[in-house]
Amino acid sequence: MRCAESLRVQAYFDGELDAISAADIERHSDACAECRALLEDLKQVRAALRQDLPYASTPPALRARIMRALDQEGASQRPRPNPGRRTSWRPGPFWTGALSGIGGAAIAISIVFVFLGSPITDPLLDDLVNAHVRSLMPDHLIDVVSTDKHTVKPWFAGHADVSPVVADFAQQGYRLIGGRADYFDHQRAAVVVYQHGSHVVNVFSWAEANAALPRNTTRNGYHLAFWKTGNLVYCAVSDTGWDELLGLVHLLQDLAANDIRE
Amino acid sequence: MLVLPHLDAAYRFARWLSRSPSDADDVVQEAMLRAFRGFDSLRGSDVKGWLLTIVRNCHLTAATQQQRRGLVPLPEEHDAQDGQAMIATTPDPESASIRRDDERTLDRLMSALPEEHREVLLLREIEEMDYREIATVTNVAIGTVMSRLARARAALKARWLHETEGESRAVR
Repeated sequence: MRCAESLRVQAYFDGELDAISAADIERHSDACAECRALLEDLKQVRAALRQDLPYASTPPALRARIMRALDQEGASQRPRPNPGRRTSWRPGPFWTGALSGIGGAAIAISIVFVFLGSPITDPLLDDLVNAHVRSLMPDHLIDVVSTDKHTVKPWFAGHADVSPVVADFAQQGYRLIGGRADYFDHQRAAVVVYQHGSHVVNVFSWAEANAALPRNTTRNGYHLAFWKTGNLVYCAVSDTGWDELLGLVHLLQDLAANDIRE
Repeated sequence: MLVLPHLDAAYRFARWLSRSPSDADDVVQEAMLRAFRGFDSLRGSDVKGWLLTIVRNCHLTAATQQQRRGLVPLPEEHDAQDGQAMIATTPDPESASIRRDDERTLDRLMSALPEEHREVLLLREIEEMDYREIATVTNVAIGTVMSRLARARAALKARWLHETEGESRAVR
């Protein structure tokens, strides 16, 4: 026969009680041997489950399968790029297939080795990856939600220290979904957020007069591509493939070049 | 995509709801696609709870279809060794082997529990959701969550004791 308080003892264990009820239960279990034993059981079951329960994470093959399915879903939702305007960086179907599997991984790894110039422990890279990961948490991605560059760009004027290039590349598969300000390197960096298929791409930008541009690199599975326009340093971060990420980088670089010419 | 950080949670949940690993794979993929298509229907900020609700619905749909077709899959034998589940690398081979034994035991005991017990245990202990969130995902009242959780924990504990009876090693 269970003590009548057993459900409240469980709620206490699960952190569901307010302070007064919790104190009440603590007093009760001091006096009730059965509830003390219950608390011990609850602790043991929790410890066993948290320590020894298998299937902690998604198998890589399944994760890859799901990412492919989501990419296809994303591709069928956005308009097909005009074949005449197909840009040279976009790989054809053969390369898409060849790059998607082991080939892609091998190439990504070789790129990492080629570009691995800056020291691994660069705090800037950590900051960027952390900011990207944090942005993927609920409610952190976007401060200003808009697919219109005429909304996003002026928003930065009041919220960030720099004014980056902003454009919607939905036609090319990179949908502008909004902007955000992130504190970064002692200034308010502007972050433009794009969606490519199922992937989020954060494009960070901040003013940097003379420091060397970090090399493109991969950290914790996220690719980081750097470039500079005037005194603005840009970094695009995402878990897309390198080809997809550099595709956006080239679009943004072309846009900035046109801006300067005009 | 905002649900991607919760893919592992979705996988764990599906893996423990479904009786076969391949069913679980299909359920997770279907759930991720549904979440992707219907992202706008998310209300509030609890993305994980929302995704797990979708996983659960996908699982129930798949299970109903299988029942209708008369397919009741046998629980598959799975060796904990081949899972990517070997979470940590323990330097000491002896403790690693005890750990594997514990994993297999727990795996077997959890699989033997009724589904409604497995799901509350998983949501509470592994996904660390509170009673209200669990009630939303499993679509029952909070009081039901509390009593199910109590029964599930007691059942797991009792089975574990029964399993390890006569062994020198007690439950940790």
